[in-house]
This record gives sequence, structure tokens and C-alpha cells, in this order.
Amino acid sequence: MKSILFLRSLCLAFLMALAVPSAFAGDTAPGAAPKFLLRVNSTNQLYEFSKPWIKKPPFSKRGIGALIDGGRILVTAELVANSTFIELEKPATVEKSTATVERVDYDCNLAVLRPADPDFLQGMQPLALNGPLQVGDEATILQLEPNGDIARTLGRITTISVSGYPSESGALLLFKLSAPLQQRDGSFTVPVVREGRLIGMVMRYDVRNQSADIVPTAVIRHFLAELDSPAYQGFARLGLAFAPLRDPQLRRYIGLQEPGGIYVSDITPRGSADAAGIKKGDAILAVDGLPLDQDGNYEDPDYGRILFSHFTNTIKHPGAIVRLKILRDGKTLEIPLSMQVANRENAISETQISDTAPKYLILGGLVFIELSRPYLKEWGNKWTSGAPQRLVYFDAFQNELPPDRGRMIILSHVLPTPDTLGYEDLENIVVTKVNGHAVKSLADLSEAAKNPVDGFQKIEFEEDPKLLFLDAASIEANAEELKRHYALPALERL
Amino acid sequence: MAAALLLPLAAIHAVEISKSLVRIEATSQDPDYKTPWNPGNVISGVGAGFVVDGKRIMTNAHVVSNARFLTVSKEGDANPYVAKVLHIAHDCDLALLAVENPAFFKGTVPVEFGGVPQMESSVSAYGYPVGGTRLSVTRGIVSRIDFQPYSHSGMDSHLAIQIDAAINPGNSGGPVMQNGKVVGVAFQGYSGDVAQNVGYMIPTPVIHRFLKDVEDGHYDHYVDLALTYRNLFNPAARRALGLEDGNTGVQVGSVYSGGASAGIVQPGDVILKIDGHTVSSDGSIELEDQAVPLEEVVERKFKGDKVRLDILREGQPMALTVTLREPWPFKLQSNLYDEKPRFFVAGGLVFQPVDQNFMDAHDPSDQRLNYLFDYFIADGLHTKRPEIVVLSNILPDSVNAYADEFRYSVVDEVNGRPVKRLDELAAAFGEASDFYVIKFAGGGRPIVLERKAIEEARPRISARYALKAEKNLEK
Repeated sequence: MKSILFLRSLCLAFLMALAVPSAFAGDTAPGAAPKFLLRVNSTNQLYEFSKPWIKKPPFSKRGIGALIDGGRILVTAELVANSTFIELEKPATVEKSTATVERVDYDCNLAVLRPADPDFLQGMQPLALNGPLQVGDEATILQLEPNGDIARTLGRITTISVSGYPSESGALLLFKLSAPLQQRDGSFTVPVVREGRLIGMVMRYDVRNQSADIVPTAVIRHFLAELDSPAYQGFARLGLAFAPLRDPQLRRYIGLQEPGGIYVSDITPRGSADAAGIKKGDAILAVDGLPLDQDGNYEDPDYGRILFSHFTNTIKHPGAIVRLKILRDGKTLEIPLSMQVANRENAISETQISDTAPKYLILGGLVFIELSRPYLKEWGNKWTSGAPQRLVYFDAFQNELPPDRGRMIILSHVLPTPDTLGYEDLENIVVTKVNGHAVKSLADLSEAAKNPVDGFQKIEFEEDPKLLFLDAASIEANAEELKRHYALPALERL
Repeated sequence: MAAALLLPLAAIHAVEISKSLVRIEATSQDPDYKTPWNPGNVISGVGAGFVVDGKRIMTNAHVVSNARFLTVSKEGDANPYVAKVLHIAHDCDLALLAVENPAFFKGTVPVEFGGVPQMESSVSAYGYPVGGTRLSVTRGIVSRIDFQPYSHSGMDSHLAIQIDAAINPGNSGGPVMQNGKVVGVAFQGYSGDVAQNVGYMIPTPVIHRFLKDVEDGHYDHYVDLALTYRNLFNPAARRALGLEDGNTGVQVGSVYSGGASAGIVQPGDVILKIDGHTVSSDGSIELEDQAVPLEEVVERKFKGDKVRLDILREGQPMALTVTLREPWPFKLQSNLYDEKPRFFVAGGLVFQPVDQNFMDAHDPSDQRLNYLFDYFIADGLHTKRPEIVVLSNILPDSVNAYADEFRYSVVDEVNGRPVKRLDELAAAFGEASDFYVIKFAGGGRPIVLERKAIEEARPRISARYALKAEKNLEK
């Protein structure tokens, strides 16, 4: 199998060299002003999740976008995350145009931009996408010199594997390219080419190991295909966690005869696997007839032995049916599974919030928010140990809480007012009920607060102090004063 | 001039106290929670003590904790005498020692105890701190009288008196004197880089309670209401709870299941009086002309004693009676002494119950374990499992080649039997079975050990890792 693949890739390279001589020659000529690269300057501004009515100071990220078919400029999602202003710049002429984000998908760390002025791209030539690569193949990282010329760095693919992406939402195919990349102006997003065709976008660079992480064309193609579909859905998720089945004692215990297979160790509530009836403890032996090894790898025709989630999440699109061969209670089953995108609508804690203003509600001076990972990350790099540990636990293990728990509503902190006398020190406690009504979202809280009981807002918590009261009429009367006093633009954003 | 006057006074006290003062040399062995089958490191230290009624020596619990060998010597007699611990109270850091040779007490004078000294009044601390081997006296004033955490157990707070006399290691257990009477036992302080001249002594109400508790020959531990309360400053809250304007009453927060108040007091109750003492809205009461937290009423009581609470529940006045007892789950979060670490080894997998000592030794970064431990009481987790049993270590061998990822995972069940205590895990492994299937909290994949593989590995692992025992189920 391996040797055939090798031959095939050789043929391919040979064919390509014949088929696209012009583009090949064009971008290897040293110093030539590139016709498919643009500088992208994005001004981004994050919300302060602990004071959600405030935006942090804006900052700039500079990167290089690749013009692809359809007048789209491809960049990484991280470059334009929470962008307030995006500017495109032609490297040679320094012509500028503002741009908008046509689509950003943080799962695959990709975004496409369009210039405000459609004529801006005139005279430019889109970059074609390359086919599959092998470990050991060479590729060129393209950066720009200050004068607009291309700076090339040759590297070699060292690893092709399914790995974690920055969004933490899951793993997708990733190339590692060994190359001595220099820190240059605008190197946040950098295209990588081989023989005149795009093979991916650099999204991270490890200086110590001189290794670049690259979003490969397989992922880019999926993203672009979704973009051209009637409704963008992105990447479907299996909604399960698995463990390798290497331990022979465990294999004998579950009666596994076949050489491969993986152990389903967790199921995401309401995910694809959950809907298909996959259970914890099932062993997955094959997907669409492709046998899995003990680590969950299958033999991919393009990339060799890689994790099967590449097949289900990237090769397949949302809505596709895959057939899982399962071993359950000693019996082999075939279970069809419909690949669906992750449904975070009822998530207990949102793990990723970008380009969206966080919700909040202030009652009398008590600041309520919905628990989210970005909120916990306000505690800095060591947030997993520095943030309130009870909340970190609920965020990390939210799959284990009752699926109908709803969003976790937090009393984040208190802006002291006469109405909150005695409550000043309360922070990061979980709200259960307001005026007797269970709250599963800030909207619930807002609704419940409209009906005070006997003139009081009665708020109950999981932790101490268990309950507190506010004078409903008084907080209503003092609302404007509170806004003015603490310079709050609004007392709620739902 | 003032100094000249003070010196003879101090000298007089030093002569008086020298007949009561005792230097204690302790050799202790701290248990090893990382390799629990090993006996642990032997360390030695010096502390102070003093003779009290009944031919006993009082000192700090932390001076004689985990002691293997104790000697005491008195001023003017170079001979060390062998001593042993008579009673030890880790929750208030006090201990009583006995000396086998009655000759020791010849010429000694038991101390007299005074009351709680006045603020700003001067006191002298006696002991054997660093800086020399002979008796040291330091002098200071009473700076503060308040509840303080007692760091020896790490979980208990009692009345403590802050003094500005230098208190250093070796002062521990020594008497603090005023007018020839003992008004406290020096026990803890801050190191100089945290705060200057802040030392603490255990005041006589705590000492008297300890002496009374052990009168029946047994120390019973402090008792507790096992509830939290909160100030009632907020006018809206006061009206909502049916209180008049004014400054009385606190609102009950958590009532810990397993504690003395469980099923009697409810969250949201307003405590108006405790044993007839009116409770202020900050939780303080007036006791012997001093404002103290309402806990002080409970502090002076013993196991089985009753506390009367006058409360307001949903606007209705009620009188409740709580019979006091020690809330057991809190022990798990206290530093423990004079206990042997418990463990169970199967197939090179080391299982241990989690307590504060375990957490100090291992300092695991496992999020689930940290949550279960930190919120064991607050989230009522102790009602579901009296002990947290974890896979604490793996002694690598082919039998457990695939268990690495499970370190610090919390055991839920073995062969379908729930494991809520270490002895339940041991019992499950004691039953004959071809497979032992260990399931962990969170429900990932199980560890499966075949009986045959365990048995084959047993001698191998014992020899390779110098495993002196495969289990200890006794504290």
C-alpha cells in the first residue's frame, strides 16, 4: 500500500511540473512582486469578559493573505478574530482597500476576506490549491520583504497528523513543516506553496524547534466547499471521546478478536454519536468499511495512517452518513451515524466566543453573566489553576452535568451601591433561582426579575450565602444612578 | 530608667517560671504519603513546655506530633527524662505529657493560669528559640484578641491572642506570663518577610477547655454547629426576612449534612440569639464584656452539650436546640498526625484514600480530584462517598503497562462494586474473579487486570520496588 502511494505521488509531482510550468516559474523567480499575495492588517478588539460592557484596547495583527479563486483572500481565523477594521495592502504598490470577513470558522482556523472595492484585485492572479503531500516533501513559506518582494523559506514536511487546533474545539489534519522561519513584518498568517500551488497556511510557529504548524489544503478544501454550499455548516463532529485499545487485558475482557479497534470513553450529549445511539464502552472497529487500528488510525489513500476523525470530520461533510462497526457486549453491530456539527446552543459553558459581545445583566449592582471559558481565561495563562476552581471544574466536565442544566448563570461580582449593602464581597457563585424560577440563561434571569415577590428580588445560589434579597423598587429607582456612577452603557445585553 | 526598672522584674519572673519550665526534645517520624509502605523520615526538634497540675507537662501538639521518642529536661538539671504523650489535641494545638520517672517533678512548681490579658498590657514569653540553647525571655504587649486559624490542623479557628514579643521556632509550647501567671501558650507567628513582630498565643479559655475535655481520660475534639452564616446589613434582606430595623441577626447559609445542625437549622434561617446572647448583624455577641464571634459559645462546649438557637424562619420566631458533635467530614481537610497512611496495592497500582496529608505530599494537578477534595464538604460530596479513593501511583510492570494515564483518577467501582472507602476496594479485590475491572469517576475506559497477571506480577513487583507490604487499612 505504502509503495503504491509513493509511486502515485511521484507521478503526480511529475505531471504537475509538466502541467503548470508558467505558475511554477513565476513564483520561484527571486524578488518578483507576487500577484497572489496581499498584506492583511487587522485591528482586533476583545471584550473584557469579567466586565462585559467594556472592550479591551484594540491591537493590530498583520499577516499575509493568499488570493484564491472567486476573489477571496484566505487567511487564518486567528488573524481576524474579533476584528473591528481590516485593511488589505498590495505589497508592491502599497495600494490599500478595506475588507470584510465573508466567513470565519474558528474550528478550522480559516477565514476568507473580500475587499470593499471589487476592482482592487484587478491584475492579480489567484493561487491554485495543491493536492496531497507526503512526509519528506519540500514546501516554501512565503513572506514579504519591506519592499514588497517575496522572501522564501524552504522547509520540509516532518509530520502529517490529526492534531489540536487553537480553538480547542477539536482536532483536524495538520502538517508540521521544519523550516528556519524568520520573524518578519506581517508573519501572523503566512501561505505555504509547493510548485506554485498553495499547500496550506502557517498558523503557529515554534521558534525553539523551528517547526511551523500548517492548516493543509484538505482542511481548506472542506472549508471552501462548505462556503459554496447553500448553507455553511463547517465541520461535523463525532461527539465522542475514545481511548486506544492497546491493553491486551482490556481487549480480552471485552472479547475483542480483531487486531484493531478503539474504546468509546465519553459521549457528548446531543452530539452525532449520542443521536446514533453509540454508548460509552462500545469498541469501534471500522468506519465505512475502513478498519481502525488500536489507536484509531485508518489507512488514508492520501496521507497514510491517520486518525479516523479526518475521514468523518473533514472528508465527510455535515449531514453525511457513516457506518460504524461496533463491538458491544461481545456482539458486532453496524450503526449508521449522521455527522452533525456540534450543537452548543444548550451548552452549560460556552468554550469559544469570538466576534460576539458577551451577555450580561446587572441588577442593582450585582453583575450576572453566563459561565464561559473566555470568562475563565480572564485569569491569565494559568487560568486552570488561578480561576475559581468550582467554575473551572464545571466548564471542564460540563458533559457530566445533566444535559438540560442550561447555561450556568454566575454572579460574577458586585458593583457596590446602597442596594447591595452587605453583598460587596460576593463573586463567582452559581445562581439557581430568581424569584422562585429556575434560571437556565440570562434571558430567564431577566424574565424572572420582572416579577419580584412581595417587592423583593429573591436570588438563590448553589453556594453561600444561598440566598439574598434586593429591594425591587429601589433598584429600579436607582438604575440610572447606577449606570451613571459606574459609566455603564446599559444594564443588560442579552 | 524604665529599662532599669523592668529588668529586675523580668528576672524575678524568670526565677519563678524556671521551676515550671521544661525543654522538650522530640524525635518524630513523619509518615510518607508518597511511598506509604515506607516508615518515613526521622526528624528532631526542640520545643518548650511547662508543668501543670497532676504532674503533667503542657506543650503544643505540633511539638510532639508523630513523636517516636521524647525527652524533657528542666532548668538547672541537665538530665533528660523520657516522656510520653498523655493527651494530644491537634485541633487546638495543645498536648499533655507524662514523665515516667517521678523524680523529674521534684522541685518543680505547677503554673497558675490567669485570664485573658487586657489589650496593651505587657506579657513575657519563655522558651528555647533559635539563637542559643538556654532559656530565652522576650517581652511584648497584647496587640489583638481575635479568632485566628490554627495552622497546625489548618482547618480550625479559635480565639488567639496576638502579641508583639518575638516568637520563634523553639518558643512553641512555652508559657506566656503576666503577673506570675500563665496567660497563654506561644504557638505560631509569621516569618519576618510576611509581617513583623506578630506572634500568637493560645489563650486560657482554649487551655481550660482542653484540660476539662481530657478530665475523662480522653480527648473528644472540638464540636461545631457545622453551618455558615452571613451578615445581615442589607435593609432589603432584613425586611424580606421579617426583621425590624436595627442590628441583630445573621442569615444561615450552608448547613452541612453530617453536621450537628443538619435537619434542624435551614439555609435562610435568621439566628437572633445563641444561648440567650443576642447576635449582632455581623455575627458577634457580647461575652464577658468582650465582643466575640457567636462561635465562641460553641467553642466552650463539649461533645453532647446543647446549644439553644432563637431563630426566625419565614418570619416566624422559633427556638431550636442543637446537640453538638464533631463534624467528621472536616477531618479530611485537616492536617492529620499520628496516623499511618492507608493504601492498597494490586498489580502495581497503588490506591490511597485522599486527605490533606495526601494532597500535601502529592500536590496533584488533576482537576477532578482537586474539585472533589476542595468541595468535598461544601458541595455535599461526602454524602455520596465517605472517602475519595484514588489510583495514586503506578509501580511500572507489564501487568499495568497501559495504566499511566489514570494516575490520580478517582475510583468509582471495582467489578461493579461501588468503592466509597479504601476497605471496599480491598474487599472487591479480595473476591475471586478472572478479571478485575476498575472504573473511574468520569467514566472513561476502565483498567482491566487479569487475576493471573496480578498473581504473576506480585513477587516481581514486591522485589523490584522493595514493597514491604501490599496494604495498610488501619489508621
